[in-house]
Amino acid sequence: MNENFKISPSEINKIKVLNQKDKNFRLENLKLFNQQGFPTRNHEDWKFSDINQIFSKNFKNLESFKNEIKLKSINFIKEFDHNHILMVNGKLENSEFKFEDKNKIKIKSYNDSNFSLNNEENSLINLNNALSNNGLLLEVADNYRFEKAIIIYNVFTDDLKDNLLNNKNKIILGKNSELHIVEYNINQSKNKFIYNTTENIILNENAYLKTINLQANQNDGFFYKFSKGKMKSNSNYSSFIFSSGPKFNKIDAEFDLEGENCDCNIKSALFINKDKHQEIKTKINHLVPNCKSYQKIKSVVDAEGKGVYQGKIYVKDIAQKTNAYQLSKALLLSENSEFNSKPELEIYADDVKCSHGSTSGSVDENSIHYLMTRGLSKKQAVQLLVNGFLNEIIGDIKSNSVRKFIENKIEIQIHGY
Amino acid sequence: MLVIKNLKASINNREILKGLNLKINPGEVHAIMGPNGSGKSTLANVLSGKNGYKISGEVKYLGESLNDIPVEERAQKGIFLAFQYPLEIPGVNTNNFLKTSLNTIKKAKGEKEIDTITFLELVKEKAKELGIDEKILSRQLNVGFSGGEKKKNEILQMKILDPNLIILDETDSGLDIDALKIISDGVNSSRSEKKSFLVITHYQRLLEYIKPDHVHVLSDGKIIKSGTSELALELEKKGYKKLN
Repeated sequence: MNENFKISPSEINKIKVLNQKDKNFRLENLKLFNQQGFPTRNHEDWKFSDINQIFSKNFKNLESFKNEIKLKSINFIKEFDHNHILMVNGKLENSEFKFEDKNKIKIKSYNDSNFSLNNEENSLINLNNALSNNGLLLEVADNYRFEKAIIIYNVFTDDLKDNLLNNKNKIILGKNSELHIVEYNINQSKNKFIYNTTENIILNENAYLKTINLQANQNDGFFYKFSKGKMKSNSNYSSFIFSSGPKFNKIDAEFDLEGENCDCNIKSALFINKDKHQEIKTKINHLVPNCKSYQKIKSVVDAEGKGVYQGKIYVKDIAQKTNAYQLSKALLLSENSEFNSKPELEIYADDVKCSHGSTSGSVDENSIHYLMTRGLSKKQAVQLLVNGFLNEIIGDIKSNSVRKFIENKIEIQIHGY
Repeated sequence: MLVIKNLKASINNREILKGLNLKINPGEVHAIMGPNGSGKSTLANVLSGKNGYKISGEVKYLGESLNDIPVEERAQKGIFLAFQYPLEIPGVNTNNFLKTSLNTIKKAKGEKEIDTITFLELVKEKAKELGIDEKILSRQLNVGFSGGEKKKNEILQMKILDPNLIILDETDSGLDIDALKIISDGVNSSRSEKKSFLVITHYQRLLEYIKPDHVHVLSDGKIIKSGTSELALELEKKGYKKLN
């Protein structure tokens, strides 16, 4: 793949477009993408993840769609009761809500560009707007609280290779509703491909959404997700990101706190090994008074791995009594491991409580020695310390069965090191 | 149990232990006293196998040279160091850690691993003896523990792991009289013909509670005087300077 990767406008003819307006919108976005190409490190938001370079290195050519699919059997989670949604290569395949009142839930597949997010700064969003042909719309009625969590099985098939997939999801929670989602990514492909997704989350008054993002396996996929949230008054968003596993993964979350007394939490525990590259980027916009936001990002980087956290808290002049906190801690296990962090505060109000911090370092030798004097090998001691480091995040998951499941998944990753 | 011959240890090109000789027989309690900087903690570290020291001389434990034995194997063979400053290990549950530690040692000895229920009963019993609030054992290892709780937790580990040679590095520092008494009782009740203790302390106070068979004075990296518990009393009266 050469430096100026471009996509022919004729590709859009392969998508079942709704109407001329939809087509024009796609063509316009494709033009914007073709002008910029994939983002490079010259762009501040991509400073530590030069995706143009990364893609150039890993892909010679890219095919925009994948029509025929070969789905292998899936290991569904049995450890706890749940509703499920199955997405295959970004396309909604089926769903089942056996614990719920189905009249309160709207779910459909869509590829309507009316649902697009706009961000002229980000060429991957332009690309997504131009080529997205699959998606999920999930809407929860006012006053409905889910009995059980939904697991969204995001399955990527065995036959994916050098594909560039674009997908859009939208989740809307009505007033006073509550939903827990576990986004469980299962990648069956042994090959490289790119999955570019945008997610739009709308939380109405007093709604509560909890999401957990988890990978089933180590893989060679390249993932980018842009998540845009809008929060009305008294709504609560709580996100846990355990997304280590793919070769490249960037989760880019931007939340607008539009109503008073919102609470927006993003926590992450990552174990980045081999030559994997993972970035979490958050932008929390405090637009009204009396909201809280909290981001705590813990990353363990081993071998040639690279971790990045870019976090920005923006506080508008009228957003008095904002309480915002951001912390990134990284543990480097090898001399070749790398972690970059860029915390930022942009505050225009004068009566706020905002703080941020960032630390990175290696495992404490004295702690290793202490554990070894109790009979543990060095490897066991480091694993225990790494587990302990990440447990601070995992321990915050209230459901015992879900927490145990995640602990297990993460432990397998750590013990593989 | 332990024979140390002409032990020298240096760190960053600075010699700390300068030819130390010591012999501890099974069942004996030895106290090492000495002023700050005399090499007390270095001796504890070196016996535990801590990295970073350049070492010469010989240390034999149960007839076997320890020179090339790594830290964890020393622990598995029954050497236990109670730390002067036990480390805080965030995110690691105290009980889980204790169980992992005990089972690792049992496995190394070729013994059967202990199941969770039996383990919890054992911990409960030992914790009660030491007046440890069981609640702290479900907390993160040493995190937010008071000074006394940390030291009691060291003794609890000693009781559970059941080692042969126990090195207590300034276990009395930072303890009030009540805690000191509980910890000393914990140590005294573990004394047996098979176990030996090396009690490292700055003050004679601890030795009122844990009666040593032998007392040694460590000064500038060497043992300059050895005697019975009378020696500790003499030191308390005269101070270390008079001995030099």
